[in-house]
Amino acid sequence: MTVAFLTVDDVTQVFPLDDGGRYVALKDIDLSISEGEFVSLIGHSGCGKSTLLNLMAGLTQASSGGILMDGRQVTDPGPERMVVFQNYSLLPWQTVRQNIALAVNNVMRSSTAAEQSERIEQSIQLVGLGHAADKYPGELSGGMKQRVAIARALAIRPRLLLLDEPFGALDALTRGNLQQQLMQICQQAGVTTVMVTHDVDEALLLSDRVVCLTNGPEAGIGQILQVPLPRPRQRLEVMNHPDYYHLRSELIGFLQQQRRLKQRKQRVTPLVPAGKPDLETVRLGYLPGLDIAPLAVAMERGFLSEHGIELRPVAFDRWQSLEDELLKGELDVAITSATTPLALTLGLDGQPAWPAITPMTVTRSGNALCLARRFSDLGIHNLSSLAERLKGREWPLRLAVAQKGNMQELLLRHWLASGGIDPDREVELLALSPMAMEATLRAGEIDGFIAGRYRVAKAVDAGLTTVLATDLDMWGGHPEKVLTCHEDWALNHQEALLNLCAALMRGGQICEDPAEHDQLVALLGAAQWLGSGSALALQRQFDLGGDEPSGVRLPLNRFHSDRAHLANAAEGSWILSQFSRWGWSAFPSNRLELLSQVYRSDLCSRALERAGFADLRPERAPFALADGVAFDQDNPLEYLNQLPYCRATALESIPLPTGSSPRPIAAH
Amino acid sequence: MTAITPASRSRRPSKLRRLQPGLRNLMPYLICIGGFLIAWQILSLILGVARLPGPINVIVETWDPYISQPFFDDGGTSKGLGWQILISLQRVAMGYGLAAVVGIAIGGVLGLNRFIGKGLDPVIQVLRTVPPLAWFPISLMVFQDANTSAIFVIFITAIWPIIINTAVGIREIPQDYTNVARVLRLRKGAYIRNIVIPATVPYVFTGLRISVGLAWLAIVAAEMLKADGGIGYFIWDAYNAGGDSSSSQIILAIIYVGVVGLALDRLVAYVGSRVAKGGN
Repeated sequence: MTVAFLTVDDVTQVFPLDDGGRYVALKDIDLSISEGEFVSLIGHSGCGKSTLLNLMAGLTQASSGGILMDGRQVTDPGPERMVVFQNYSLLPWQTVRQNIALAVNNVMRSSTAAEQSERIEQSIQLVGLGHAADKYPGELSGGMKQRVAIARALAIRPRLLLLDEPFGALDALTRGNLQQQLMQICQQAGVTTVMVTHDVDEALLLSDRVVCLTNGPEAGIGQILQVPLPRPRQRLEVMNHPDYYHLRSELIGFLQQQRRLKQRKQRVTPLVPAGKPDLETVRLGYLPGLDIAPLAVAMERGFLSEHGIELRPVAFDRWQSLEDELLKGELDVAITSATTPLALTLGLDGQPAWPAITPMTVTRSGNALCLARRFSDLGIHNLSSLAERLKGREWPLRLAVAQKGNMQELLLRHWLASGGIDPDREVELLALSPMAMEATLRAGEIDGFIAGRYRVAKAVDAGLTTVLATDLDMWGGHPEKVLTCHEDWALNHQEALLNLCAALMRGGQICEDPAEHDQLVALLGAAQWLGSGSALALQRQFDLGGDEPSGVRLPLNRFHSDRAHLANAAEGSWILSQFSRWGWSAFPSNRLELLSQVYRSDLCSRALERAGFADLRPERAPFALADGVAFDQDNPLEYLNQLPYCRATALESIPLPTGSSPRPIAAH
Repeated sequence: MTAITPASRSRRPSKLRRLQPGLRNLMPYLICIGGFLIAWQILSLILGVARLPGPINVIVETWDPYISQPFFDDGGTSKGLGWQILISLQRVAMGYGLAAVVGIAIGGVLGLNRFIGKGLDPVIQVLRTVPPLAWFPISLMVFQDANTSAIFVIFITAIWPIIINTAVGIREIPQDYTNVARVLRLRKGAYIRNIVIPATVPYVFTGLRISVGLAWLAIVAAEMLKADGGIGYFIWDAYNAGGDSSSSQIILAIIYVGVVGLALDRLVAYVGSRVAKGGN
């Protein structure tokens, strides 16, 4: 990786509106461009492409964040970052030669007149306009004007060339010729180029990378596409290249998804005017467990009423019944497994698709897999010895998960597969209520289970099980429980939802504060949360060695630190890849549309702000699970190809349920 | 079958069509102006020639010496209409020339400096609505001289459109051009020379054109009040003389005033189009 020549660092651009409001054009843009690279910015109109280009040029200053070129901050425009403007911006009262001379003479002040005029003539020849050098721009065609603008830009030898929809106003033939010319010129000059365009073919022909921007307001980088086509490129050769079609459909798919999102945004408008209700009643479903500690804290400490919410918590003992009530509209929101919002929206298991959204992650990590003691007595202490043991077995290993298709199951399957165990053949996975797992294991019905750490700890304390793996062996910091609700409810009760999120975030912070530990144990010991036995387990469960201390400690739940709250679409992308991997659904070719519908990072930011926390956001960089295979959200299919046991990778555009799809609304 | 032969479609050209193309273009003017003259003549017949002379009376009564000898000079203020118009034009040239120089300078400052532009805007908006003749008494008091006062009235009338249009022209320089200047880091002098001036010229000439009309309006009025010579003076003098041909003289002078005003307007427009060549 070459050192970045141009760095766009965490740039946000806000414009004040006439009515006193603010328009956030760009939000949290991070981008690095290497020297000599040709990068295109693509997106629908109004997505802030040109705004970003103007920032790079230094014509405007970012509201926050900055742009570095060669390690120096860009604070004002300058000839080393020359712009070819959208409408050419030639001075109409000067001839072609005068226009170029104005730039050259001004930038090459120290050179002699002979040198200057040589550079001017050379530039005119470069774009083949010798015959028109003494004409006024008004006498030239659009294509010729654009050539003059490019000649003027290149004449002053900029280090960065910025092109704002350079061929937008030209006819197809002229455009094609000019693209070819521009490509040759840029390649010869080796100049780093950033081009704004909305033409997919143009972007692919010219670029090394295509940066796709999502719709404004708050436009961000949706996807970055590498264009690994060999150079020098010829239009026809490029179009016949085997990768071209795939790249093109990827880009078109992105733009189509963005268009649908835009239309969707315009279609859905809140039913209730955004007023401030006195005290809104919210019915929240949950399953008791350590994961709901932030909820318990938020309730007991009065955060919810502070935020104007009267919460009606409804405890369930089976995930299926919670989900049923949520779908029926008896619950407004629920704390569910991290996979639930996507599973509901896709309509897995033949259910009707239900437009779920998640504004925040409630908790991360905190799971462990335990096996009955007899396995440890047989010398099975890790994945490889388990795989060894399973090879000759006639009947599969019976493991329990709390819910089919939940995060625990995905983690378990991924972990087993990484050790060479086929989770569909060598293992039988059963869905059991978490409360029933210990008793079922005791009865010998199952060989082990994956569950929250305090349940595992209790089973270990009871001498029933030993721990085989924890989150650290699977995916440290994975999203475990998220807040889930119907898209319409989020729309019509946005204030309540934001307030609820803010209260849960504040609760999460306290859950991680060591100084609060004793109080937390006392609080969770109350009957409606975990009960006293569980709280005791919580208190002294940290060593899981069995008879003698092993020093192996279960990782703690993460309720707050290290961006725990974020609704991270990249993680959703991983979940989708696993749905596809195990053949539960086709891989959605419109995944970005799906993810941006479900993962509401906009709500998350606002809730963080409301809770008084910094507005953090996920890194775009690829991440890896414990098996070390990097997952790049821009290229999930390649990730799937690297994994063992992959059932299906069929791409399919999945119709998304809309907010208007039927949903019974129970009367409050 | 109704096959239409080419011959059946071609009709005989109408009388109008057979006229020469040049004459055909003049037809609307001839007909409409002719109609206007006829209406005037009829009105004159109804009211009586003494009250409103018709077009024929006007020409007959003023032919000698006013039409046939525009440049006679009997000494004093008894001069041909050509001289009278030249006297007026001289005053306009001085007042308007001064207004153009000062107006462009002030407009330039107001356009380039947002602070001054904003602060002085109310003053300009109030003063520009003052009718030209309202300035006349105060300028007589200040200058104690009819001729200087007339020139001052021209100046103060003509200056506002020039100031306002120059300032607006500078403020309305397209963002594209200022962006080019910023990216190239043009120095102030080069910026004004290459971008501000060429981009503002069309606006300035719009102001100049409005101003020349206003100046011509003002001079006639000022001369009617107090002056020695000039076309305005001629009109007022003819009215006061009350002779048989007075009304014809007045009408003739009005026509001259109108024609000269039109000529001035076209002249400024022509100069503007020459100067702004290559623009747009």
